Amino acid sequence: MNEVTDKRAPSDESFWSNVKKHFRKNRVAVYSLRGIYMLVILALIADFIANEKPLIARYKGETYFPVLKGYAVDMGLSEWPKDFQNIQWKDLKFDFAIFPPVPYLPKNIDYNNSQSVGPFESQDVKSWRWRHWLGTDELGHDVTAGMIHGTRIALTVGLVSMSIASVIGIFLGAMAGYYGDTRLKMSRGRIILNCIFLIMGIFYSFGSRSYLLGDALTTSLGSFFFEMFISLLILSCFMFAARLLSGLLNRLPYFAKKISVPVDIIVSRSIEIMVSIPTMFLIISIAAIVSKPSIYITMVIIGLTSWTGIARFIRAELLRVRNLEYIEAAHALGYTEKRTLLRHAIPNALSPVLISIAFGIASAILVESSLSFIGIGVPPETMTWGSLLAAARVSSSAWWLAVFPGFAIFITVTLCNLVGEGLTDALDPRLRK
Amino acid sequence: MLKYILKRVLIFVPTLFAISLLTFIISLNAPGDPVDMMLNQSNSGQGQSAQKLATEKAYISLKHKLGLDLPIFYFSFSNASLPDTMYRIVKAQHRYALERMCDEYGNWESISAYYLTVRNLDMSLYSVPKDSSIALDLQRSKDFAASLLETYDQLKTNVILSNLEYIFSNTPAFASLNVYLQAARSSYEEIQKNKSSYRKYIPRLQFYGFNNQYHNWIVNFIHGDFGISYQDKRPVASVIWDAVRWTMLISSLSILLSYIVSIPVGVKSAVKKGTRSDRVTTTGLFMLYSMPPFWIATMLIMFFCGGDYFDWFPAFGLGTLPDDAPLMQRLTDTSYHLILPLFCWTYTSFAFLSRQMRGGVLNVIGQDYIRTARAKGVPEKQVVWRHAFRNSLLPIITMFANIFPLVISGSFIIEWIFSIPGMGKITLEALIARNYPIVFTEMMFAAILTLIGTLVADILYAAVDPRISFSGKSV
Repeated sequence: MNEVTDKRAPSDESFWSNVKKHFRKNRVAVYSLRGIYMLVILALIADFIANEKPLIARYKGETYFPVLKGYAVDMGLSEWPKDFQNIQWKDLKFDFAIFPPVPYLPKNIDYNNSQSVGPFESQDVKSWRWRHWLGTDELGHDVTAGMIHGTRIALTVGLVSMSIASVIGIFLGAMAGYYGDTRLKMSRGRIILNCIFLIMGIFYSFGSRSYLLGDALTTSLGSFFFEMFISLLILSCFMFAARLLSGLLNRLPYFAKKISVPVDIIVSRSIEIMVSIPTMFLIISIAAIVSKPSIYITMVIIGLTSWTGIARFIRAELLRVRNLEYIEAAHALGYTEKRTLLRHAIPNALSPVLISIAFGIASAILVESSLSFIGIGVPPETMTWGSLLAAARVSSSAWWLAVFPGFAIFITVTLCNLVGEGLTDALDPRLRK
Repeated sequence: MLKYILKRVLIFVPTLFAISLLTFIISLNAPGDPVDMMLNQSNSGQGQSAQKLATEKAYISLKHKLGLDLPIFYFSFSNASLPDTMYRIVKAQHRYALERMCDEYGNWESISAYYLTVRNLDMSLYSVPKDSSIALDLQRSKDFAASLLETYDQLKTNVILSNLEYIFSNTPAFASLNVYLQAARSSYEEIQKNKSSYRKYIPRLQFYGFNNQYHNWIVNFIHGDFGISYQDKRPVASVIWDAVRWTMLISSLSILLSYIVSIPVGVKSAVKKGTRSDRVTTTGLFMLYSMPPFWIATMLIMFFCGGDYFDWFPAFGLGTLPDDAPLMQRLTDTSYHLILPLFCWTYTSFAFLSRQMRGGVLNVIGQDYIRTARAKGVPEKQVVWRHAFRNSLLPIITMFANIFPLVISGSFIIEWIFSIPGMGKITLEALIARNYPIVFTEMMFAAILTLIGTLVADILYAAVDPRISFSGKSV
């Protein structure tokens, strides 16, 4: 007995702690992950690093925290005092003020330094404090501020689009891999009712609400998600109703007959279709027709077009997993298919998806920056790394407009790819030394 | 094998059908009006009613000629608030406004009555004799009436109507038109009164038969008639043929180049695994792989193509030599122009392939038969190139399927930056100009090319690896 436990001891550690251990051994990947953390922090505190408003200011005997107050005003909790409405912050005579390290917002235009002033050229600024460290563009926007706030956009694009892609990819891939073509059995009545109620549900949740959803998407991502949530709620009510009704319909022997649903064929075929459309074509054509370009729409489009990789991975993984003993054991114990799939099969197949997500974030950032480089899908007033880079095409001697934003894209993409590499190594036992 | 290829080609059909549907849906939702663009209408609102009637007639007849006044698809699944003849409202902006009003109020009878009264009002403004004293008021009223046709928002409509009422009451010359304005006002109130919003919750399936836009387009497409470009009125086929030639030339060159360069690089680095040169190559390839091509392209143009730095390469186009110049001269000129684009086009796939090649060789080199070969005294070179290399080619060949779409999509930005008249650039320009016949055809062609790429990869796969058979028999 003792011997047995002894033998087990080294492999007793959980899968994830094992992966973590191997990931930590890869110094490059660990540093890349730290680099990404830094970028995330930079994106989160961008308003405190580059902002036109002072962090702390004393004005006419009162102390203000304008950056913080800005958040409150945006959320509608507070209002600007009269002195601060429609003003140029840097022209205000404060008794005392601490400005952020970069005292500009990407949207601020410095008329004294328009026509692309370089970082090493003489700049027409009050003091070194107001210098444009990375130069300005044609109109006089500060490149440093644009770079810092661009981090936020780039990372949001990566995260949001890959979340959408993972949800779709994991769902479809898992269904296809686990059920295959024969294992998902449904009664005829259930299939018919599901089809009818799915069409009706889509009609009521998306068809009748299409204008509502479209308008919400152009206002803000938050309101869009709220409306989307309501739509999905309506849809799930319909599917639930189909389930209830199928119980009744199944009393008739014809409808009660179980037939299998070829999930795998359906999913594989749709993956094949998605893959054979050149993604960039598709994204650009959709982004070009959106009447009011918005960065959120771009995120959604990238998410909706990049789920195939994840779906393929998880399908292949589940094809393997579903034949393992522990799934059999779960069946033998009488667990429902749904429970086996959700609680036992999918969690064990998720690891390759992580790799796919890491690489996916990198490519989403690349796609977004190429879109804004062409000037499609991103509103002109939003400054992203891609649009900064595009400005370099206009002023052909402004090397700082080409070098810095491109380098930022490059670094972010490289970091994501390196983390992906590290994960690949850590998750694949064959590659471990 | 033949059976497998046939099966694969048959699968193309539903895939292409789905893609055609997707493209079609995209084009339907596109803002802007191709007919307006072709007529080159300036909506200045100048001119008299006869002129206005003439332009409207031209508009409708062109729409008819292009088949854009037909139903969109074989059937429509919409709600009961929308009339089944909505497609007959030819102006997209008007149709959108009417659809939204139907969505809000649901009573098509009143809405169409209102639409007619507003159109009458719009038309009547053009019958007012020209007079400099009222020119400004007339122009403003025309603008208001035109925007009324595109407005669905209740608040906005009311504001425009009251603005019009204000102008009309202060301009005696408009007295005779007051009837039209009052009719518009009362019919708008009628809509509000007879709301039947519930109708949008009643689903309705409507069949239109074969005479619809999609059917006509796809039938023509199969027959090889891709329509005419809205921009320059050339046949799409010739526009695309000009573009595809360049894209195909550069893509095949780029694929060839990346395979030629990446295979030795990958094998060398795998064989010398762990050495300094391997580490340098691996890192270099990785960085190259992560570099956005449009960044490199921008930098190359900025630093090497005139500007303030070096002037070594041409920045744009493919050369300006006339067609009758000697072939050699044209060839050298074109290749000189192609150096930078080809570099930007190739390096990502090159880096990707080299990394894959390295991984493939590394996988094989640890196998027993390699050890056996070494043990029996086969020279190292032969071990690498005859035993390891051949077996590690497999994944690289399948990469062809991945590289192909990558190269086609990559064409988008590179072509745009370097102004090469290939598929990417043409499509981008067509998209911006809403030139949909081009976009459709490009998308279909790109998809067909991608499908062929995948098929070729599959066939190559079978040709290289005797273990793989497509006949369905288990080996």
